[in-house]
Parts: sequence; structure tokens; C-alpha cells
Amino acid sequence: MSCNCNSNKPGCCHSSEQGVSRRNFLRTSAVLASGLAALAASLSPLMEMEDVPSAEKFLQKYYKELTPEEMAKVLKRIENEVERQYGIRPHVRDLKPMDGVEFVYCLNLTRCIGCRKCVHACVKENNQSRNPEIQYIRVLKMPHGTFDMEKGDHNYAPESVPEKGFFYMPVQCQQCKNPPCVKVCPVHATWTDSDGITVIDYDWCIGCRYCEAACPYWARHFNFTKPNIPKDKLNPEMAYLGNRPRRQGVMEKCHFCVQRTRAGKYPACLEVCPVGARKFGNILDPNSEVSYILRTKRVFMQLKEELGTSPRFFYYFDV
Amino acid sequence: MNNQTRTNQVLLLASLAFLALAAGFHFNLWGRPAPRPDIPLVDPMFTSNTTWRTSYAELIRAKADLSDFDCYACHERHKPPPMHFDTNNILIVPKEHSDIVMHHGTHNRNNLCFNCHDENNLELFQTRDGRQLKLSESTPLCGSCHGPTYRDWEAGAHGRTSGYWNRDLGPITRLDCVSCHNPHSPKNFSRPPAPGPHPLRPVRTIAAEHHNPV
Repeated sequence: MSCNCNSNKPGCCHSSEQGVSRRNFLRTSAVLASGLAALAASLSPLMEMEDVPSAEKFLQKYYKELTPEEMAKVLKRIENEVERQYGIRPHVRDLKPMDGVEFVYCLNLTRCIGCRKCVHACVKENNQSRNPEIQYIRVLKMPHGTFDMEKGDHNYAPESVPEKGFFYMPVQCQQCKNPPCVKVCPVHATWTDSDGITVIDYDWCIGCRYCEAACPYWARHFNFTKPNIPKDKLNPEMAYLGNRPRRQGVMEKCHFCVQRTRAGKYPACLEVCPVGARKFGNILDPNSEVSYILRTKRVFMQLKEELGTSPRFFYYFDV
Repeated sequence: MNNQTRTNQVLLLASLAFLALAAGFHFNLWGRPAPRPDIPLVDPMFTSNTTWRTSYAELIRAKADLSDFDCYACHERHKPPPMHFDTNNILIVPKEHSDIVMHHGTHNRNNLCFNCHDENNLELFQTRDGRQLKLSESTPLCGSCHGPTYRDWEAGAHGRTSGYWNRDLGPITRLDCVSCHNPHSPKNFSRPPAPGPHPLRPVRTIAAEHHNPV
């Protein structure tokens, strides 16, 4: 069917001199139509894309610039979105840090038995994806006599814990005073609030994963896929900077359960700890448990102290 | 070669390329990611806040069946129950109390029932400094020997304190010693661990040589 322009056959190539011939017009339009159809077909994976952001969401202002009325609208929009997706009407709040409060976490390495209950209580509380798994807490099984984290093991699965000759070190976001993740964020989607919690605005995050690379504690997790949460497992008590469902392509991490702690409660990992190894509170209050621990216990370290990140997470031993 | 022919050829080539792409997507030639293997949901046991035991005080509050604590259903009042020891001077737990494992302290240094229980009134405890305490008040009894731990417990540093860190906004729940510790064998905390992480790709496991460098 191709047109060989070296031939002098009538009806071929002469049309260009005399305007458009019927044959050429038909051929061109057939090729064009099939080409467009093929283009549409090849772009078909785009049609499978879900949750294209609404105009409202797309035009939303930066978190710190939102007025209370605009915030109320945003919370309403999030509640609608969650209800549409999960069939549950959540209660989404925007909780601000309290005055005169700085949170500190203390973890007793003498007590921790490595049962991983905190890991799963955290997943349940904070609406993390179940498949693929995102878990804010990683429990390292470490041989006695070293703090070389290279020797830690995440994947222990014995009949029962604790095992002889090992201790267990849960690691989560250390809520640093000098956080490398905040410094590298190109869009200021993550920052440290006055109560010491480093939070993420999931609507502002562009998913560049710089913070994941900057964090020396592997605390930040990326939603490579749409989070997969069974509808009946959704925790409806939510906070804007906390456990509201994330979308694909944003970072998330431990935020000391802002939906609980900024309402005065203890975080979920503490509530579930069967040995009372986890202690949380306001370091500015001299009567709090964490003040007592930091005053009287062998608080031996902040993890990777030498990096100068100055975590608000302390590991200690009894006696 | 004139312009129109060239245009047609380019268009034809482009449409063929698109058709090939469409066919490729349709027959999934590139292999879209295979569905991920299922991860079973974690057993609710691992996300439950309940303690491993229930103290007598908690049983009273929950209005549970307390018939197990009715000592004088079997024992006789005003008659201290006898204790029997084997040839190594280790207490023989009577078969009526066979659910009790005596392992409080090492080397059997604390294997006398009446170190804690009052032999003249089994419904009471007696401390070494002579106080008599109700069965629901076992925590000060433990504190009469375990001073530093009791001090930490009072400060909220030993054992779980749950509820509100901000006492102005809500109450806290304190646990008794025996909410977690078995008074007759207090040290046993061995439990099965919750499932570990399910990574997308197989991970490097810590090989034995890490623990025993060659």
C-alpha cells in the first residue's frame, strides 16, 4: 500500500500538485484515526488511576497559613474523603501543641522482652498500611555486650521471648531536636512543633524521599502503593498531622500519636506494653515520670548520639 | 519524495508504534507487578491492652467469682496449716495447691508460705515489719521487701501507667504488682512474640558468624 514516489503511476503523488485527492484524504484520516486510537489504548493505564486530587485539595494552602475557618473546611473535606473510601465517618481534628509541654520518651532496655506488641498496637492506632506493611517501630534483637546496630536482627521468630544472651531495642522516630529530615525537605512539608514532635503535612509532601535518606534511624516510611487498610480496622479518631489515612506517594512516620498525646493521653505503644518498659511525658514538668527517670536512672544514651541529632527518645537501664 | 508522502509514512510508523504499545499493555508483556502475597492480619491478642494476670483487687472491682480466694472453705480457722519439706529443705507444695509454682527468689531462699501469708488468718498478709494487709493490698506487701522497685512504682517508673499523661485532662490507671507478676514465681515473663515484619523482598538475615566471629 505504500506510495512509491519514484513511480509515475497515475493517482499516486500527483495529488499534491492538484490539492487533496480522495484517496490521499482517506488514507491520511485512516492512519490518523488508528493512530489516535492506539495512543488512547497505550495511555489506558492512566485510566486506572484513582483519587485524582479535587480542585479544593489541589488549591489548599500551606498548613501554617490556614485560617481556622479554612482548616475547618479542610477537615470536613478529609472526613468526606475517608467516609467515601472506608464507609466510616471519622472524627478528624487539628490538634495544636500545648503550651509549656515538651514530650520525651524513655525506654527501659532492662524490661523490654521484644514481644513486638507495640509494633502492632501502633499499626492499629495509626491506620498504617497492612499490605504492604508499614510499621513505625522496629524491634532489634541485639546480642549482649554491644550496641553495634549492625548486629541487630529484625526478623527473630523464636517460640518465646526473651531469649537468653540477647536484649531487645525498639527503634522508632526519635523526635530529634536537630532533625536532619526537616532540614532536607524542599517544600517544608515536615517541621518540629513546639512540643517537640516532628510532624508531616501529608497534603504538602511531594514524596521526594529526601527525608527518608537523611534520617539515620530509618524512621521514615514511604507509601509506594495506595495504603491497604481493611475497612473494619480503621481507627476513626484522627488528627490532621497524625493518623488520618495517607495517600500513595507520601512519607509517614511515628508522631508520638499526636491524636492521643495532644489530647492528654499516652501513646498507643505505651498503653500496650506488657512490661511497662515505655515511659512518656512532659519533660518540662518536674513531677512527670520521664523527669524522674532522667534524674535518677542510668539513662545511658540517645541512639547514635555522635551524629548530633539530639533525640528526645532516651534508652535507659534499671538501677 | 514529497512532503505529504513523508507525513503519511511518519503517521503510519507512529500509529504502528502506538498499536504495538497498546498490544503490549493489553497482553501485559512487561509484566505488571504480580499481586503481593497476603499478609495475615495480626492476632488481636497482640494489640490487646490487658495485663497477663488479674490481681485480687481487680477481680473485686470486676465483681468476678472470688470463690478461689475463700481459704476457709477448706482450711480450718485458728489452726495454722502445716508445711512439709523434702530432704533438700525444699517446700513440697500440697496437691490441693498444685497450680502454684514456688519460684520466688533464687536458691529457694524464699520458699516459706508464711513469709507473706498470715498463718493465723489466711485471708490476710503479714509483712516482715509486722503489718497486716488485706489480700487486695498486696502491693505494699511486695514493697516491704522490694524497696527500690516500690519507690520506682510510686514514682510511675516501674510498671505500666496508662490513661492520661496530663493529669488535668483525665485519670490514670495504675497496676498492682500482681497484675503482671505471679507472686509465687514473679520473674517468668516468657511469651511468644508477635509476628515480625514482612518485607517485600527477602532480607539478609543475621548469620551465626555475627555472634561467633571466626
